[in-house]
Amino acid sequence: MATTAAPTGGARNGAGPEWGGFEENIQGGGSAVIDMENMDDTSGSSFEDMGELHQRLREEEVDADAAAAEEEDGEFLGMKGFKGQLSRQVADQMWQAGKRQASRAFSLYANIDILRPYFDVEPAQVRSRLLESMIPIKMVNFPQKIAGELYGPLMLVFTLVAILLHGMKTSDTIIREGTLMGTAIGTCFGYWLGVSSFIYFLAYLCNAQITMLQMLALLGYGLFGHCIVLFITYNIHLHALFYLFWLLVGGLSTLRMVAVLVSRTVGPTQRLLLCGTLAALHMLFLLYLHFAYHKVVEGILDTLEGPNIPPIQRVPRDIPAVLPAARLSSTMLNATAKAVAVTLQSH
Amino acid sequence: QQVDEQPQPASFVPSEMLMPPDYAGQFFQPASNSDYYAQSSYIGSFDEEPPLLEELGINFDHIWQKTLTVLNPMKPADGSIMNETDLTGPVLFCVALGATLLLAGKAQFGYVYGLSALGCLGVYALLNLMSSSGVSCGCVASVLGYCLLPMVILSSCAIFFSLQGTFGTASALVIVGWCSLSASKIFMSALDMEGQQLLIAYPCALLYGLFALLTVF
Repeated sequence: MATTAAPTGGARNGAGPEWGGFEENIQGGGSAVIDMENMDDTSGSSFEDMGELHQRLREEEVDADAAAAEEEDGEFLGMKGFKGQLSRQVADQMWQAGKRQASRAFSLYANIDILRPYFDVEPAQVRSRLLESMIPIKMVNFPQKIAGELYGPLMLVFTLVAILLHGMKTSDTIIREGTLMGTAIGTCFGYWLGVSSFIYFLAYLCNAQITMLQMLALLGYGLFGHCIVLFITYNIHLHALFYLFWLLVGGLSTLRMVAVLVSRTVGPTQRLLLCGTLAALHMLFLLYLHFAYHKVVEGILDTLEGPNIPPIQRVPRDIPAVLPAARLSSTMLNATAKAVAVTLQSH
Repeated sequence: QQVDEQPQPASFVPSEMLMPPDYAGQFFQPASNSDYYAQSSYIGSFDEEPPLLEELGINFDHIWQKTLTVLNPMKPADGSIMNETDLTGPVLFCVALGATLLLAGKAQFGYVYGLSALGCLGVYALLNLMSSSGVSCGCVASVLGYCLLPMVILSSCAIFFSLQGTFGTASALVIVGWCSLSASKIFMSALDMEGQQLLIAYPCALLYGLFALLTVF
């Protein structure tokens, strides 16, 4: 706003003493915001006033002085004299107070510098933490250390968003109430923030020693397993492979988080509640991500690639050839049955 | 008629210190000082006005230099060239990306602009958190926009053949790597963040990966 008000300031400075009355009332001196505000509070529109002003410049100076004397009375919204000046002062003060409060609130809530220490990482640290997130450590007597940083978790969430988008694009998923990007971001960030908050709340109930930042970091790094599984299984469409990876990789990262939480909680019931909830949510989320955005691919593959049907799929069984002579007819029967099945499936 | 003083709060070096000795034309900083308006006011005569390109702050020589820096990711970048906020080149490349996508049959200008705006904001927030000295949004937008040039090359390839095969995926990956390498190299030299190139390159790679998704699918 400083730059947009500068031309009017400049023009006014060159225009002469007519506007001097307003400048006397400006408290802050050079603040352009207040200039505009005071200018808008004149009796007419600012452009009309400037037009009139320009007119006066070209006439004799006596008229200019008379106008100056007139303007120094300080018309404010149609009120002349003392009332006008008082009104202007009050409006000024209200503006200042409002501005002060707004800037204080802004600097308090929108200050991202409070997050600065959580982004102070080295590439080697991030790499080692990524690898450690897949290795459960069985140490339940002392609280296990959790790295309190947000760079790794944030990047992992964004990576999951990208993988999800890629999966949705390759499978031609159509989202009717929304956009692909919105769905992906909503799902991933919703899971990360929502489940972290929920588990933090449960941890508070179960008296576990974990802070919100640590929970966010733990769950964020736990998404590394999800990223690996989804990246592989969105490209290689085999159900058995997915279930294997789900148990193995998903299980490893869940076990790691569970071990950390167990080391920070006292009491078997509390441990069971907390870790059971986290394990269930984490594993079910991976299951959901795979099946919600992947189903369509199977349908397309079946219709396009015919013979390459994975063994778990339900396929029409080949009608066995009873006699060697009847093999030709059984082949024809099989082909017809398959065609019928494909037609039925595509509906 | 060159204006030198720049009373602005951003961490910019005054242009007289940045000017390499081999620059021929004058370079005029737009939108940064109040004398600019007084000079081009209606009171001055026609002869005193600076040329239009100077007034707009478009310096083709500068744009070409930055483009060459982006196209050669192995060449070490000069940290000072990205200190001025030049948005002409980036806007030109975004429009070129949209145009090549249009020629390939996808009218997705809105997606290009939306992605670039949101991506700029995201990378701006991240860089401010990660670097010791701050960075302005204009500088981030400028760097990210310039490094979008290889993506324009990818989308112009998409006009002639579909990128949805193995070759398309491989070339998309190469282009994404090229863009993010250039961007992280320039950010590193401009913000003096040695040793964190990979940490900056990864978010840029995610952003350019989204552009690649837009181009390929």
